[in-house]
Amino acid sequence: MSRLTKKSPSVCTDEPLENPDLCQRFDCLRQLLRSCFGPSGRLKHIRNNIGGHVITTSTSSVLLSAASSSQPAVRLLTTSILNHVSRFSDCGLFAAVLCLSLVDQAARRQSGLRRDVAIRVNKHLLRMCTDYLQREDCGCKVRLDFCSSRSLITLARSVISSKPGCVLTELEAVHISKLAVQAFVLTVPCDSPGTVRLGRTVTVSVEGQPVLDSAVFSGLLLDVPDASSLGNVENLQSNPLQMVLLGVSLSGDLSDLGDGTLEVHRGADADSQVLDQLLELGKQVVKDEVKLFVCQKVIHPVLQQYLRQHGVVVVERVGAALMEPLSQLTGAQPVATLQTTIPAKAYGQVKDLTIRQFGSKTMLHLHPAGEPVICTMILCHRNETMLNELKVACQKTEHVLRLTLREPSALLGGGCTETHLAAYIRNKSVHEAPEAAKVLGCSQSQYLLGLEAFCRSLESVAAALQHSGGSSLIDLTHGHHWTLHSDTAEIQREDALGSCGCGLVESGPHVKWTHLNTKYSDFSPAPLSKNAAVYPRVLDSFTAKINALQVAVETANLVLDIRYIIQDVN
Amino acid sequence: MFGSAVVNQRQHVGLQELSALAGATRSCLGPSKNYKFIQDETSGESTLVCSCFRLLENLDLSCAVGQLVNETVQSHQKVYRSGSGSLLFLAGAWSRAALECLQRGISIAHIISAMSEGMDICLDVCRKYSVATSALCASPSENCSATCQVLERELLKKPAGRALQVSSLTRETPEVSHKTRNTSGRQRVKLTHSRHFYEAKSEKVSTVPRPHSQDSKDVDITHIAGAVSHGCDDSMSLVVEASRLQTENGEQDFSRCTFDITKVVTCILPGLPEERACVLPGCVVLLSAEQASVALHVKDQRLKVALINGDLSETYRHLGFNRPAGVRQVTSMSGLGSLSKEEEWLESVLTSLLKLSVNLILVSGVACEKLIQRCYTHHILVVEKVRASILRAFADATGAVPVTYATQLSKHCVGSGVQAAVWRDLSSQEKKSSVAVNISTNNNTGLVTVILTSCIHGKLQALEDQFWACAYRLHHALKDKALLPGAGEIEMLCVHHLKKRAQHHVKPSRESGEQANAGRAASPYRHVVLHLMADGFIDYISTVMVNTGRCTKVKAWTALSQQLQNSNAASNFSTKALLESETQGGTMSPDMKSNETAAGKVYDNFNVKVELWRKALDLVFLVLQTDAEIITGVDHKTVGTQSANLMLL
Repeated sequence: MSRLTKKSPSVCTDEPLENPDLCQRFDCLRQLLRSCFGPSGRLKHIRNNIGGHVITTSTSSVLLSAASSSQPAVRLLTTSILNHVSRFSDCGLFAAVLCLSLVDQAARRQSGLRRDVAIRVNKHLLRMCTDYLQREDCGCKVRLDFCSSRSLITLARSVISSKPGCVLTELEAVHISKLAVQAFVLTVPCDSPGTVRLGRTVTVSVEGQPVLDSAVFSGLLLDVPDASSLGNVENLQSNPLQMVLLGVSLSGDLSDLGDGTLEVHRGADADSQVLDQLLELGKQVVKDEVKLFVCQKVIHPVLQQYLRQHGVVVVERVGAALMEPLSQLTGAQPVATLQTTIPAKAYGQVKDLTIRQFGSKTMLHLHPAGEPVICTMILCHRNETMLNELKVACQKTEHVLRLTLREPSALLGGGCTETHLAAYIRNKSVHEAPEAAKVLGCSQSQYLLGLEAFCRSLESVAAALQHSGGSSLIDLTHGHHWTLHSDTAEIQREDALGSCGCGLVESGPHVKWTHLNTKYSDFSPAPLSKNAAVYPRVLDSFTAKINALQVAVETANLVLDIRYIIQDVN
Repeated sequence: MFGSAVVNQRQHVGLQELSALAGATRSCLGPSKNYKFIQDETSGESTLVCSCFRLLENLDLSCAVGQLVNETVQSHQKVYRSGSGSLLFLAGAWSRAALECLQRGISIAHIISAMSEGMDICLDVCRKYSVATSALCASPSENCSATCQVLERELLKKPAGRALQVSSLTRETPEVSHKTRNTSGRQRVKLTHSRHFYEAKSEKVSTVPRPHSQDSKDVDITHIAGAVSHGCDDSMSLVVEASRLQTENGEQDFSRCTFDITKVVTCILPGLPEERACVLPGCVVLLSAEQASVALHVKDQRLKVALINGDLSETYRHLGFNRPAGVRQVTSMSGLGSLSKEEEWLESVLTSLLKLSVNLILVSGVACEKLIQRCYTHHILVVEKVRASILRAFADATGAVPVTYATQLSKHCVGSGVQAAVWRDLSSQEKKSSVAVNISTNNNTGLVTVILTSCIHGKLQALEDQFWACAYRLHHALKDKALLPGAGEIEMLCVHHLKKRAQHHVKPSRESGEQANAGRAASPYRHVVLHLMADGFIDYISTVMVNTGRCTKVKAWTALSQQLQNSNAASNFSTKALLESETQGGTMSPDMKSNETAAGKVYDNFNVKVELWRKALDLVFLVLQTDAEIITGVDHKTVGTQSANLMLL
């Protein structure tokens, strides 16, 4: 007789946002992510409950993918942010903090704002924001000038220095930013007609070396664990060198049998049969005067020995990630089968081979024969934790720089875009409140409440940049963001403030400030006079940020719209 | 599932953990280390450790900070083989400094920027006061270079608390004294147990008569080795001896003294007294008595050698070879009588070995027992578990090519010119009879074996660690070509410069608009942070002093602060003023001073020290900037019982 376990019925939660448990979780996540935000953000140790490897990070992508929640509403939010990060790399924390603030503002019962109104107002204001940001005369947008590397370096530096886990000094941050821009420039082909295909940057990390040893090389660097086996690679005669790239394992084992079985007679040696086949390949390659033999996977030692004896440089186990860059660099087509002879057009070419040493790593440098669109970035740092964080930061930077090709603009960083935007929509909405309220089908006071919630949320993102108890201010002319450290007295305020978050506005006697969380009379934020001498110190990616804004508002609206949560608890 | 513990800012738990962990390894600092027992209560097993990295290795570190510390220390140890104790100590000291800063309400950004600046100051100090290894062994006449003068005067303001444990020098050989800057015949003072006072133990080595042509070169290494021996004179003399053997017998240039650490092998012999430790050219391995009889048989022959990467067995396959799951063997009736697969393999390997007349096989992995037996009957010696670098050295020396499979062996893969000789029969000492066999090549490749012995089994690992620490210190000294004045001197210089800068900064910080523009407003707390950082160094030196002798913590601090004040009072670092101040302090005997100025000064490795400082500070930065811990995979039900500050997500 089989025993039946009674299935427990699904759990349905009505009005989940009224539920204090969920609110607490959202609040916890909000605090957690806010504290990670910006260059002085706090790091988090992530480990599992049995004490595995510890990750130390403040990067949204690492943080959110490690921290999974049992709450569907929280999961909805994190998935949405992760999806944004996977597409645009940057501004993940911005999106998350803004989204959580919007939810928090609207879910507060005492605010008197109806959630359905909040959703409509949010949508309306989002459109207003994006329209403004797309405008030519937008006060917080900067055209990127590709004639000089300056703006690109600033952009890169803003991304890199927003990751405090890299523990970089000012000098090191500049060095890495320059390298990131150099790598980016190397991957843009100079004169290829027709569709432009961007190259790739391959990142190699070397632990234990100083950061300033990091460098960018055109071409590819392959890790070779046993340098003594390379022989005299630098004296290879022919130029360019013929090379072959293999995507199959040459370890000499029988290829995957699947579920079937193979019956082998005694005396028949399958291994040696396969090895003979490998050696056939070796013979052909030697005959075709191949000088460099690269395999994604393992090469049988006998084949290696054979090839080396015939003066071929052998590199094995390069890994799947390097196959595409290798094929792009050399023009070789990865050989995927051993059954047929290698066609002549599958061979690729490299100009030259050199050996480079980075700390304990020996690398074989493949110089491109044609135009170098593939480059390798060697990242050095003193320990693994910082190196991992630096690697993530550099990959983000690469992506952000690429996005500038699609839209050559950037937004002012340091919280200035957020406060400026808030000031702009406050001013604009107040004037058109009656019409807007009518269109949105709500009372004017409800509309103003929604507006206030939205602006507060934007401003709270700017305020999240401050972590040491200082206060955030906004100036009443341009609407830029300023931070006042907790240890400065009110009297010295003018001196202590220096310049605004992005560095465009200087402090002075004519500037009036107010604290961000106080009510201020609305004003139209004035665009800055075009002064070529003053350049923003911090820039954010335009494309990433505008998308992050949309993702944040839409996700918040979705969360606010949840009426029931039905969970299968079996 | 996900929990996060938010830590109170002013009582940073992570920093406290770091500081506590560092406290546990306090006694690992300095030249005289105390052994510690680590006992596992569940299994009852215990381990004897005396170094920081071994301690951490044997601890069950479950907290995030502990893991971070362990990762950092082990990665440092892997490369440098020394300084792990200092690393953790300084991490602890600076985490206390950071805690103090937090308690005074200094923001994290300010702490980090000030501490980074402090580190830059220290690194500048290191660069400025570093001594080229070549200057270390130059003749007295050349010694009046600028660096040396700097050194001389720094020499005179050494920590006073070191005037402990003084015993007179018993042996003095004329061969040494004419090379050192000391005049021979003067009664010198030797300090034992203290790296601070330890002076180059060159006499042991120099009593061995050497060809004259190398003399000047060889002194280099002896001097440098003495300078970085840090009290481990016995181990260091083994290192020097190894280097001497490498230089002397090496076919390569006599022009420079060499020490190739990749060609040094250690061989551990338990049961012998420690004094029996020695260095031999060639590679000494322990073999069973049976195997050794083969060695006896081939005693005076020039052997042919085969090198095998991996295991030598029928079933072994190279890395990355996957055995397919679905292969079944089908045996026909006629096949039953034939040999098994392993037998076939044995036959074929043996045939090829005999055909190539190989007498010696060096295997990096293990060899199958049956094959060893077969080889034994054919007088072929099989040596297992040979290190990869040694295999390479044999490959270079004999022309042999390492192969993965015995079937790969061909004529050109086999090297020749190797000798095997029984070095010592240890069957009397050990229960399991074993014989030490020395395998060497005619044309010396620089392969040397260091035999380490101890009657106490538990001490052997510590002895081996100590030997490698010494070997790597010498290796790094030769590689860096620069050293730092040791015995806490460079730390004192850093303290001095940090404090000087701290005073310097109090005034201009308010007006410097430039710095504010640079995005990093000048911190009014900079001087506090720098002072606290300097105190970390003082804590370090005083702990070394306490560990070294029996001087109390208070005494050490007093002596150090006295010394600092003296150096501050003197407007310029004139030697004379310092000399006087030292005598007034009355902490250093005149005898001592003469010794200090002698060649037997203590030095530290440049890169090792700089790296460990940076790593220690990085560790503090990482922990300092962390405010929460995210624990994944937490079970909902157990959470209730766990700490109250766990929040669920």
